[in-house]
Amino acid sequence: MNSSRHSIPGLLLLLLSAGLAPTLNASEPTSDQLAFFEAKVRPLLVKHCYECHSTEAEKVKGGLLIDSKAGWMAGGDSGEAIEPGKPAESLLMETVRYGNPDLQMPPKYQLSEAEIAVLEDWIAMGAPDPRTGPAVAKAAGIDWEKGRSHWAFLPVARPEPPAVKAAEWVRDDLDRFILAGIEAAGLQPVADADRFALIRRVTLDLTGLPPTVDEVGAFVRDPDPDDAALAKVVDRLLKSPAFGERWGRHWLDVARYADSVGKTRNVPFPYAWRYRNYVIDAFNADKPYDEFLAEQVAGDLLEARDAKDRAENLVASGFLALGSMDLNERDNEQFTLDRIDDQMDTLGRATMGLTLGCARCHDHKFDPIAQTDYYALAGVFASTQTLSGQQNRQGGNKDYHQVGLLARLDAGGDAPKTPAAGQAAEISRLTDRMRQLVAEGKKKNLSKDRRAELRREVADIRKTLAELGGPDVGPGSDAGKKKKKKGAGDGPVDPNAAYAMALSDGAATDLALRVRGEPDIKGDLVPRGFPTILKPATPVTLPEAGSGRRELAAWLTAPEHPLTARVMVNRIWAHLMGRGLVETVDNFGASGAAPTHPELLDHLAGRFVDGGWSMKAMIRTIVLSRTYRLGSDQPASHVAADEGNRLYWRANLRRLEAEAIRDSLLAAGGMLAPGRPDGAPFDASVGGDLAKTNPGKRGGAKAGDPIARPERSVYLPVFRSRLPGMFTVFDFAEPDQVNGQRDVTTVAPQALFLLNNPFVVDVSRRAAERILEQELPDETARVRHAYAYTLCRYPTEAETERALAFLGAEPDRETGWTALVQALYSAAEFRYVP
Amino acid sequence: MKTCRDTYTPLTRRGMLQHTAAGFGWLAFAALNAGTARAATGGGAYQSPLQPKAPHFPAKAKRVIFLFMQGGPSHLDTFDWKPDLMANGGKTASGDAAGGRGGKLLAPQFAFAPQGESGLPISELFPELSRHADDLCLLNGMHTSNAAHPQATIALHTGSINFVRPSMGSWITYGLGSANQDLPGFITINPVGGGGAQNYGSSFLPASYQGTRVDLGEGGIPDIRNRHLAEGRQRAQIDLIQEMNRDLLGKHPGNPELDGVIQSFELAYRMQTSVPAVLDLEAEEPATRERYGLDNEETREFGTQCLMARRLAESGVRFIQVSKGGWDQHNNLKSALTRNCAGIDRPIAALLQDLKDRDLLRDTLVLWGGEFGRSPQDQANGGDGRRHNNRGYSMWMAGGGVKGGLRHGATDELGGTAVAGKIGTHDLHATILHLLGLDHTRLTYRYAGRDFRLTDVYGEVAKEIVA
Repeated sequence: MNSSRHSIPGLLLLLLSAGLAPTLNASEPTSDQLAFFEAKVRPLLVKHCYECHSTEAEKVKGGLLIDSKAGWMAGGDSGEAIEPGKPAESLLMETVRYGNPDLQMPPKYQLSEAEIAVLEDWIAMGAPDPRTGPAVAKAAGIDWEKGRSHWAFLPVARPEPPAVKAAEWVRDDLDRFILAGIEAAGLQPVADADRFALIRRVTLDLTGLPPTVDEVGAFVRDPDPDDAALAKVVDRLLKSPAFGERWGRHWLDVARYADSVGKTRNVPFPYAWRYRNYVIDAFNADKPYDEFLAEQVAGDLLEARDAKDRAENLVASGFLALGSMDLNERDNEQFTLDRIDDQMDTLGRATMGLTLGCARCHDHKFDPIAQTDYYALAGVFASTQTLSGQQNRQGGNKDYHQVGLLARLDAGGDAPKTPAAGQAAEISRLTDRMRQLVAEGKKKNLSKDRRAELRREVADIRKTLAELGGPDVGPGSDAGKKKKKKGAGDGPVDPNAAYAMALSDGAATDLALRVRGEPDIKGDLVPRGFPTILKPATPVTLPEAGSGRRELAAWLTAPEHPLTARVMVNRIWAHLMGRGLVETVDNFGASGAAPTHPELLDHLAGRFVDGGWSMKAMIRTIVLSRTYRLGSDQPASHVAADEGNRLYWRANLRRLEAEAIRDSLLAAGGMLAPGRPDGAPFDASVGGDLAKTNPGKRGGAKAGDPIARPERSVYLPVFRSRLPGMFTVFDFAEPDQVNGQRDVTTVAPQALFLLNNPFVVDVSRRAAERILEQELPDETARVRHAYAYTLCRYPTEAETERALAFLGAEPDRETGWTALVQALYSAAEFRYVP
Repeated sequence: MKTCRDTYTPLTRRGMLQHTAAGFGWLAFAALNAGTARAATGGGAYQSPLQPKAPHFPAKAKRVIFLFMQGGPSHLDTFDWKPDLMANGGKTASGDAAGGRGGKLLAPQFAFAPQGESGLPISELFPELSRHADDLCLLNGMHTSNAAHPQATIALHTGSINFVRPSMGSWITYGLGSANQDLPGFITINPVGGGGAQNYGSSFLPASYQGTRVDLGEGGIPDIRNRHLAEGRQRAQIDLIQEMNRDLLGKHPGNPELDGVIQSFELAYRMQTSVPAVLDLEAEEPATRERYGLDNEETREFGTQCLMARRLAESGVRFIQVSKGGWDQHNNLKSALTRNCAGIDRPIAALLQDLKDRDLLRDTLVLWGGEFGRSPQDQANGGDGRRHNNRGYSMWMAGGGVKGGLRHGATDELGGTAVAGKIGTHDLHATILHLLGLDHTRLTYRYAGRDFRLTDVYGEVAKEIVA
């Protein structure tokens, strides 16, 4: 029934467009019937329906035309409107009777009883209708030919680096692509940045921390030429653990990483931090990007060398379990489809720059992604168990946190394991059944036998649930004994227990297309598969058993995939150069930006794949290029020719991210604790709905404003909707969804934070104390130190004069120095990469 | 109903911030040194995103005060008089008329009487507010799509249940800017309830249009107070910072972000004075404070918010929200409603009176209501509670170009479902924008490759209520 509803309009459209409009009804209406139609029905339809449901309508609503027989026979987005001869089964009658509160026609007023009766009679007599006309207002559909020709879907080319005039300027082939563009505009690149600027730039870019005074000194005094001196610095930085902390965080933005689920019941993810550590470690170990992706998409299915490797793979697969979900969603189907949508959207934009989520409700409006493509790939996730450790509330007192929906990392000495296929569904089924039983048990007039039966089944279910690691519910359980406060739920959870968020395979199943994305309006089943536009030459067949994620990972990381490498090298470029070659780093589709340097993008993508997908190698290549080294001069001629610096003739000034600002503040004050704190970023006192339990204000061991903690920002908890104020004000990535490029806003609250926040005052005081403690000849030398600590350079004479005058006007020496350091921290220069 | 999922494309917002030179965020004022370095880049002078903008057509209202009652206040005991429900209390309801669910009907628990010359029926819970009956436009045909608090609350504020979208205050500030460049254009006082910051977030609109949260304690806005430097010393410190910033701008002539930084410090400095000043209720006459109920435990908190709202409205803030939670009367309906209404009655009456006295009510739209209403049925046949009801409920408007003394729209005889003059969430938003001189189909923002609206693809203006 459901599938036929959907296929009829499709078939009809096909026939009509081929000029073969069929006879729609074999039995011709009688003249009496036609008279009735003309006298009663047509005027009624014209008066009440045509405004929205005719070819003349300004905008056809609900995809339904009612000004021709073909129109209503084709039906609309909600299905067929009329079942000739069967008023009771006709959607039209339900809507005019206002039987369904979500679908009432006409929407502004109800028809009179007499009018409704006319429609009923008309449909009962078989809906005789002499009107001819098209079934659909306008044909839609995807132009596949045009879609295929979009640059991003074409194979990665291997362009020859262009010839350039100033060949001596070039350090790497990539410089040729840049220089060719600059020369073509009749310009030259500006001079290189000086070494003070360069070491600050490269150290912040690679580690998110400023260089120490000694590091600056060593580099500016290094007698080697720039190329060699810079290479030494870069290799040192790439080996620093701080590198993974910086670049891992970039990926965490893309992975919409968070330590809580967000939305209406903002319950923590106690084990998300393991995924965070995995990402940081992967960058530090230079895990090849193809492996890195494969582990995140299908880590649970990959061969493992040993238990440790297996655990790491499982943790990696947590990537697709970290989504922001509405745990208050009562409709399980909706919840499941929303979860899949998060996975589709995240996978699509993070790895391919494809907005797959746009095809959930209809064919993609801009890109060649059909709605069937969406449901084909969605089937892979429908065949997957998402072990987020949480479930939506379905009534009763069930906890949101569910240990049974996690991967165990220490299965009693065995290898780490995930729940068996179908376990999540089974737990859900049993808890639902339990609720029914409990409800029945409350009835008064039950027979003794039935009561005994109920007791037995309840006991059995409790036992099974315990074995499955499901919730303890029903009579006799803790949950059953005391009614919990709504939304509080969830007792203390130890975030250091040996669990991980992960994926595991469920029963292989194809998904039915959902008309307009509505969970309960099902179309045809769509066989699992990959988007049509990206089908490889040799077709991939997904196994009958298993989700197909292993195949998905292989397909995604195939060297010939046109998007995977391009998207990642573009992300790396954007982080280092301030703007992607494709400016919309998460959208490579037709609605995204076109590449400014398409050949360079392909050149880098090709090298990335050929070089074994090494992210460190790609980063090294770019930071050792001449282009990266450019200074920031702005000759008027260049500004006139290319104001926006699209050609990269100079370095872009870039503001630091919230974390780098905070870490720099701590580092300059000597307050930053190096290394990674052990275990989870919060303790068992943080639980339940964070909107109610308010972490930070209760007595947990790590309470207080998290920004005052000494560890690097990447190790602070990321609770959705509850980010530290400093993070919000400096444009931290909203962790609800993929976010490959941070916003840069410049707002007054940032100035207020720097001027008045106790944390800033405190780090300023500590840095001032550090300067005053040292044996230095005079205030001038101290000012020199203050500049070196905070801005990694020495002050000019004028700046020294200014600082001394400022200090001289403050009677209290420590206050004066604190205020001076704070001014240096607050200056734009401190938070901009030169 | 689904709409397109968020597809984040940074081009729009970044593009605006970086390339159109309008980037300096909230509260910028006309450039200090506009034009100095401008010739180098050919860019235009900086313009604050909060500069007042012309509406699409002449506006009836210039600003909005939204009194948000979180939890679902019972329309049946406040502003939607249902004699049939009174007559049928205790009887079992049948059919759709009563919200589609059976159960015993609970008669209105409070007496209604006609008020003012217009004779609007208002419950005895609002003796003070009733004196302004002829200014009120009761919207008795409200309905919304979801009966859960968080979803319905977010829908009321942003128009969307599923997606993170800009709130109506952000849209309005984006559309009209603000009249005072020393204060945020959109302020929410003591926000409560489901959805949290989403309810005043700007989502993909520039951060300038985000609602600024003002809390009743601690100076209202984070880090607004300088507690560590003498006043003159902080100014000297800012001068030092600004000299450094101007040096850097000199090396990057025309850089909009750096110019924005310079302006942000000046503005922050002035906000340290302007924000506490406008929120300083001690500046009000004792008699005024008393009228708002600041002397009374029951009314103090809401009265404080209302008085702040009036002061912010006078200062030119575009959209002001005041919130009160605790309207979820599944039980203890009588006592809780009595307490809640007593807590707001006096303050709201004082607010309306003050606006009138200052000739501000004319162009200030006051909106009262919650995310949904309550059922005609008894919650658990206990005689003292009602269930959620999204199919029919009430809000009211006053001032801002709406007809006073009007009862617009209706629920069915028992008050369960809106049947006439129906106003859904998108219709409400369309109507508010209309009163502000904005065409809801033209107030768009391009994001992720398409134009977004507060009203998505829906919304009908309730023209009948426009004076």
